Amino acid sequence: MGTSTPAPEGGSRTGPDAPMSPRDALALLETQRDRVSRRLRTDIVAVLAGWGLTWLAGFGLAYLASGSSPVVSWWVAGPVIGVLGAAALTVSFGLPIWQGRGIAGPSRQVTSMYMWAWALAFGAVAAINAGLASQGLPARLTPLTWTGTSALAVGALFLGAGFLFRDQIHYALGGWILVTGVASVFAGFPGNFAVLSLAGGGGMLAAAVPYALSRRRSLA
Amino acid sequence: MLPPLDPVIHAQPRLRVTLALAGLPDGDAMTFPRLQELAGLTAGNLATHLRKLEDAGYITVTKAFRRRTPVTYLSLTRTGRQALEDYTAALRDLLAAPGNGTPAGSST
Repeated sequence: MGTSTPAPEGGSRTGPDAPMSPRDALALLETQRDRVSRRLRTDIVAVLAGWGLTWLAGFGLAYLASGSSPVVSWWVAGPVIGVLGAAALTVSFGLPIWQGRGIAGPSRQVTSMYMWAWALAFGAVAAINAGLASQGLPARLTPLTWTGTSALAVGALFLGAGFLFRDQIHYALGGWILVTGVASVFAGFPGNFAVLSLAGGGGMLAAAVPYALSRRRSLA
Repeated sequence: MLPPLDPVIHAQPRLRVTLALAGLPDGDAMTFPRLQELAGLTAGNLATHLRKLEDAGYITVTKAFRRRTPVTYLSLTRTGRQALEDYTAALRDLLAAPGNGTPAGSST
């Protein structure tokens, strides 16, 4: 090999300092490359699948628990929605923050700004809806404004991610969520929940597929 | 006659370190403890191999302070990234060459 490494302590021929065959090197290269990538990069499939499932099941349960003859009790729907939401938040915020420990540089700044954008947008959604209520918005309209403004925020942020990172899937998903938000308002209550569940949740799950496929292709 | 594999990278610990740092996007750097964790080496072993990589010009070592605690940041240089690419290609060529037990063109 011609390496100028001094003999390993104890003259061991096994363990991490032992000479490596080219075959072993290639195997190590391929497994380590994947392993490092998984530990450093945000798992976009998990994020989209997590939120897609949360919207599909969460808004689905909300639909079933609403209206004049509910099929499901809010005592069931509420906690399930809470757990799904917490899981999705963990995957999309908690995990990337954890993955970024010990890393410094431009990518960290971008990630931080991206996460703050979501927090600020949803802070505004909450404040706007609280403001509408305090200004006398009839209670029958509050589900529509909450889901409509939320979908607007999500759609716009996905569009932003799309043009910033030149990611056509995110851009298309963003546009789709905006359309879904508009449709949800016109669907009225509790139809708005059904629209967000099927079109919104379904859209996000569908968007996860091309990312999953391209990941499989790059590993093949 | 195939060229020999880059001896700076062709050692298990240094290949691990190089691959860990290659996982970072351009412009980012990794702290020593995080690199230790990703590469799976002991602190002493890592320090030894980092010196070799730095001598070869493959990595940048930056010492900084974060809230008065010294922190060492590591990243691959452009030379280092190129060296890893060249090493990977050379490895594949070597294993694809006849007489190496791997049929040519079957590299993954």
